Amino acid sequence: MASGVIALSGTDKTLVGLNPLSLTAIREGILGKIFPDAANISDAVTGTDFVPNVEALAEVNPDLVIQWGGRGPEIVDPIVNAGLTTLLIKYGTEELTRQYTTMVATAIGKPERITELVEWRDQVQKDIEAKLAGIAEEDRPSVLYLGRSLSDITAAGNKGSYNAWYIELTGGRNAAAELDGSLSINREQIAQWDPEVILLNSFEPGLDVSWVYDDPILSLTKAAQNRRVYKMPLGGYRWDPPNQESPLTWMWLAELLHPDVFDYDLRAEMTKAYKVLYNYELTDEDIDGIIWTAQQGDGFGYDQFAAE
Amino acid sequence: MAVVVSLCVGRFSVSAGRALEILGSAIVNPGRTIEAMDERIVLLVRAPRVIISAMAGAALATAGVALQGVFRNPLVSPEVLGISQGAAFGGALAITLGIWGVPLLAIVFLSGFSAPVFVGLLARIDGRTEIITVILSGMVVGSLFSAMVSLLQFIADPNSSLPAIVYWLMGSFATATWDRVLVSVPGLMIGIGLLWALRFRLNVLSLDDAEARSLGANPDRERWLVFALVALIVGCQVAVSGIVGWVGLVIPHAARLIVGYDHRRLLPATAILGAAFMVTIDTLARTITAAEIPPGVLTAIVGAPVFALLLRRHFRDKEAR
Repeated sequence: MASGVIALSGTDKTLVGLNPLSLTAIREGILGKIFPDAANISDAVTGTDFVPNVEALAEVNPDLVIQWGGRGPEIVDPIVNAGLTTLLIKYGTEELTRQYTTMVATAIGKPERITELVEWRDQVQKDIEAKLAGIAEEDRPSVLYLGRSLSDITAAGNKGSYNAWYIELTGGRNAAAELDGSLSINREQIAQWDPEVILLNSFEPGLDVSWVYDDPILSLTKAAQNRRVYKMPLGGYRWDPPNQESPLTWMWLAELLHPDVFDYDLRAEMTKAYKVLYNYELTDEDIDGIIWTAQQGDGFGYDQFAAE
Repeated sequence: MAVVVSLCVGRFSVSAGRALEILGSAIVNPGRTIEAMDERIVLLVRAPRVIISAMAGAALATAGVALQGVFRNPLVSPEVLGISQGAAFGGALAITLGIWGVPLLAIVFLSGFSAPVFVGLLARIDGRTEIITVILSGMVVGSLFSAMVSLLQFIADPNSSLPAIVYWLMGSFATATWDRVLVSVPGLMIGIGLLWALRFRLNVLSLDDAEARSLGANPDRERWLVFALVALIVGCQVAVSGIVGWVGLVIPHAARLIVGYDHRRLLPATAILGAAFMVTIDTLARTITAAEIPPGVLTAIVGAPVFALLLRRHFRDKEAR
């Protein structure tokens, strides 16, 4: 959400504290380049588990604290008891994302951003749905999203998974649909599902597509054989969970799953979006960094994203 | 039997005949390249996994028997002495520092070995070591190591090392590879082998110390040797598959019911039973659902009630005496 607040307010000056995880994303991704000062924002206000450090919060004295509302009162009550104004948001679905984006935009006094950011989501979603309207079930490739890979392998079932939602949206079938939530699986299970596309998370810094291509089992899956293994991009935030850049996630994935149906100019869309979101002119080099061209530029369908 | 069944079942369907054929041709012609998915699943996924889980089960159960013999107490296991928690701390520390492979194993081993050393130092009062003080000291040392593991989890990076630590602590054979077989199996075999070599000593140590001394044993020194071997076993096992509890506690009792109390027969029976149990648990863990169930969870579900029963029986017998 921290990067979302930056996008909504158009500056990093609104933000006085954030989650340590948001800070690592800022440091690893392009946001640290666009807003170099953001790397100095206090991450002492909360643990990575969102348990607030009330004294640190009081120290930065925010006008508004934004906290997750669906994870129990333990992480909310201390903030409220400290007398701080608190906005609770709920995570998970696209609809909730739009709701809280609207709420936060209003709360920070930037209601005009709702149109630009929320309606953009609606537009892109409707556009994708319209283009895929007639697509037959057998033309939907099976897609496996791995939320973790290096220490433990986890896959996302349909329940409560935003990843599963956008796989469906962009014309794929979730290969792990039988799972009830995000759970640990083994290589043998992946072999059994034999997905046509594998998506790797952007959370693990040491992870890239060679993890699949060099694995004796995974390298025999359809996804690896057809070079359709992609690591989720890392832009202003990680493209896996819902955030201000989600429409770009959808366009990227839609192009990869159905290059014959879609003809988004991803580079142009990204440039346009980053101008609106962060008032920043993306360079070709920036874009290649965000979508990992160096690591996966030879993947199936990635040539369409190449700089001209 | 469990090993053969385990090789033939899994989420990826390979018929039993085909699995055995793959295994057979791998034995006849070990140098050939393996191409097909079913061959790789059987030879690269299931085979090392079955070997590691069987060896871990055998070694943990043997370690349990040895400790129970040495302490003349049926309720002792590597967990009770804090060895597992010590090993867990070593592993969590290594992962936090980004250390994997053989160095991780070394850290796990040293840390696991430090637990019985601390327990020994704490429990020795006026030159004597009472069973009850050993168990209480074990709780103290174990809790301390657990707390330090929690501390490491608290400071670990939630995107990389934290999930690795959590997953590893739950215990799993899912990451078994031939490399890991090479890392763990020699240590486990040495541990089992030397404990087997000590079978007569274990019989003597099961007597009380005065009797053991009169038979020419040096109980203190031999106890330390057993501790070292148990720490070697637990270190090797925890390093490749995380903490798998309860096997060392429950399996020895099952084996005693079958072959009695003589360590000459008890050790091999425990090893075989432990291997079969662990392979069965791991087979269930990886096949019941699409998601992997941590085998440590399954062994605890089986082990905890059995432990409760043993505890009750132990105290009832004591009162009856």
